[in-house]
Amino acid sequence: MLRKSSVSIARDRVKALVISDRVHCTPDAYDNICRELFISLSKYMELTEDDFQVNINRTQVIITFAGEEV
Amino acid sequence: MGEVIVITSGKGGVGKTTTTANLGAGLSKHDKKVVVIDTDLGLRNLDVVMGLENLIVYNLVDVIEGTCRLKQALIRDKRYENLYLLPSAQTKDKTAITPGQMKKLTSELKEEFDYILLDCPAGIEQGFMNAIAGADRAIIVTTPEVSAIRDADRIIGLLEGQQLKKKELIINRIRVDMVKKGDMMTVDDVTEILSIPLIGALPDDEQVVIGTNQGEPVIGMDSKAGTAYMNICKRIMGMEVPFLELTSNTGFFSRLSGFFRKE
Repeated sequence: MLRKSSVSIARDRVKALVISDRVHCTPDAYDNICRELFISLSKYMELTEDDFQVNINRTQVIITFAGEEV
Repeated sequence: MGEVIVITSGKGGVGKTTTTANLGAGLSKHDKKVVVIDTDLGLRNLDVVMGLENLIVYNLVDVIEGTCRLKQALIRDKRYENLYLLPSAQTKDKTAITPGQMKKLTSELKEEFDYILLDCPAGIEQGFMNAIAGADRAIIVTTPEVSAIRDADRIIGLLEGQQLKKKELIINRIRVDMVKKGDMMTVDDVTEILSIPLIGALPDDEQVVIGTNQGEPVIGMDSKAGTAYMNICKRIMGMEVPFLELTSNTGFFSRLSGFFRKE
C-alpha cells in the first residue's frame, strides 16, 4: 500500500499530543527526547536506532532497546 | 454499601449521557438498586435521553440547597423496577454546588443504593470536580478519534491526581468497516495509548440514535450496542464476561465482529 493509512497518522499524532500533555512539553519534544537519549546512551552501550524505543507514560519514561521486544 | 461511579470523558459528545442511561437501566435489570445523577448544571440532558423529562419537579440543586428532601427529587423510572433519576437544574450553573456538597450527597445515597452513577459534564472545570468528588470508581468514555483520546488522557491524569485509583475505559462508536480499511484506530490502539483497563467496546449502532429519539435505553433492545452495554454492566458487577483476544492485532476485528454477532 502506497497510501499511508489515516490510522497510522492518527496514532502518531495522538501519541505526540498525549506525551506533550503528560509532561508539559511541545509536541516535537518527544522526537528530540528520543534522539538525545539515543545519543547519550550510545556512548555507553551498543544500540541500533531501529530497536531503540522510548515510551513516556504518566509516571515513567521507559527505554526499550534490542532484545526486549517480543 | 453502594458504589459511586462517575462516567466522564473530557470531550463532549462522545456518549457519556447515553452510557449513563444504559448502564443505569442495565444494572437495575440485574436487581440492583440504582440512581443516576445528572451533574451537568445548566445543560440538563440525562432526563431527555431516559424519556423522563416530563416528570421533573425538583432537581439536584434543590436537594443540595435543602429546598426539598432527597426522596422528593428522585424520579422513579417505571420501566425499571429499581432505577431512579436525580435530574440536573436547567437554570443554575456549575457554581451552585461544591465538591464537598456532592461528596455528602453521594455518601448519603450509598446507604440506600447499590450503584450511584454520575453523568459528568464535559470539560475539566468545577462541574467535573463536583462530579468526581465522591466517586469510588471512574468510567472514561472515548471514541477512536485523536481529540477524544487526547482529552480522555488528560482526564485520566486528573483522576490520578485526585487519588481515584479504579479507572476503566469504554471505547464508543467503533466502525468495524473503517477499522478494516485502516481508517479508524482499533480498540487495541486506543487501550494501549490510554493504558487503563478496558471495560467495554461499543460499535457505532444506529439503534442508539433510535433509542435516544424515543427516550428508551438500547439495553432493552435486540441490538449490538444493547448487548455490549449489558456486558459492561456485568463487568461492573464483577462478573467475568470474556473479551475476545483484545491484545493481539492480527485479525482482531474479524473476531470482534463475530463476537458482536454472537452476543
